[in-house]
Amino acid sequence: MQIAETFAVAAPIERVWRFITDPATVAPCVPGCQSYEVLTATSYKATIQIALGPIKTNFNVIVDLTKAEPPTYLASTARGEEGGKASTLTAKSELRLLANGPGATTVSYASEVALVGRLGKFGLGMMKKKAKSIGEEFAVAFRTRVEAETASQGGTAGEVLSADNAQAGA
Amino acid sequence: MKFYQPTTLKQALKVLANEDDARCLAGGATLVAMMNANLLAPSALVSLSAVKGLAGITRRKNGSVTIGAMTRHQAVADTAALDGGQRLVREAAALIGHPAIRNMGTIGGSISHADPAADYPTALVTANATVTIENSRAKREIDAQNFFTGYLETALEPGDIVVAVSIPAGVAGAGSAYEKFARVQGDFATVSAGVVLALEKGVCRHARIAVGGCAATPIRVAAAEAKLVGSRLQDSAVAAAGVLLAAACDPIDDFRGSSEYRLMILPTILARAVSKARVRAETVS
Repeated sequence: MQIAETFAVAAPIERVWRFITDPATVAPCVPGCQSYEVLTATSYKATIQIALGPIKTNFNVIVDLTKAEPPTYLASTARGEEGGKASTLTAKSELRLLANGPGATTVSYASEVALVGRLGKFGLGMMKKKAKSIGEEFAVAFRTRVEAETASQGGTAGEVLSADNAQAGA
Repeated sequence: MKFYQPTTLKQALKVLANEDDARCLAGGATLVAMMNANLLAPSALVSLSAVKGLAGITRRKNGSVTIGAMTRHQAVADTAALDGGQRLVREAAALIGHPAIRNMGTIGGSISHADPAADYPTALVTANATVTIENSRAKREIDAQNFFTGYLETALEPGDIVVAVSIPAGVAGAGSAYEKFARVQGDFATVSAGVVLALEKGVCRHARIAVGGCAATPIRVAAAEAKLVGSRLQDSAVAAAGVLLAAACDPIDDFRGSSEYRLMILPTILARAVSKARVRAETVS
């Protein structure tokens, strides 16, 4: 299944890049992320809890960064399993950052995810919606985190942030 | 895994309150299948089959009908108690799966599982039903519309049991219909629609619509219902309602149909349900 998402962050592209390539800032923004571990400079291991109705499980995922062109492009692969390999997933993802002026960045990503096993057999359509909602939750959490840091440093980026917040609250 | 078979609701609620990750076993039509597929492994099963007072259909003096949680689909499909604006609930029950499933599955189990492509959720939201929930501390009621909260997600909290579903008498002289499109007979809905209508001299005076299989929960749109009220239910009014409903939906893509396909057939399924409900409302009034 394909998952794609685009969201705006009121922060300069360099800062967004730094945040999005640092597992210490990304992991807390991933819904259900229980723990993460840095294996190498380009490889991470994470445990992510997924719940779909009565089904609750932990995915153990290894993410490898395969190509990086700072500050605009990042490619990665992920492979994971849950329930003692009852389901396995593989994903290829591409992340693109685009500067929209000095204090604004558009983040877009696209993933091709393959899910095989018990979860793949059950309600794949619902899983896709679930993945999308996880992506949306991540976007909100990530944006909030980056913008909070940007705002605390003051300057024009902070003004962009408050305008953006006013819009979101409307 | 532990297995409990309480004989009173109080005992059942007590076990649920004390057991972490226990699940109620009603008819088993879905839960057992999911356990067989290795998707669920509850710490304990609390069978409700021996609990007294959970099954049965009661029609009250005010015309409302209460269906006990352990009532099998077939019993609902066969009841004469559901009439007029309530009729679509029995129509939905008759379309669930096959005879073996209908003799096994229960209304409480079906709505607790909350598959958005199942028949009861859409029909119960259309009929403005109320779900009665009990836990070891309290009893509460919640509108069907607020009971379903997401894909396989409901307002149920750990320790809760659905004890009954009540369907109000609704508007006098109303007719209702539940229509579903499925790839094969007995399948979950690709798209379904429930409609309750009341007419006066050919003019629609009341309309309530919900569509299923097109989002995480049954979808109602007040503006779509408003398109029918005051109209003579001409094709253009029904089509306009269909467009408004489709705009509020966000269907999944799966083997039952793509998201686009579901949105495309939705207005047709709605029109069929409106047409049936209209004939029934005319017969009543």
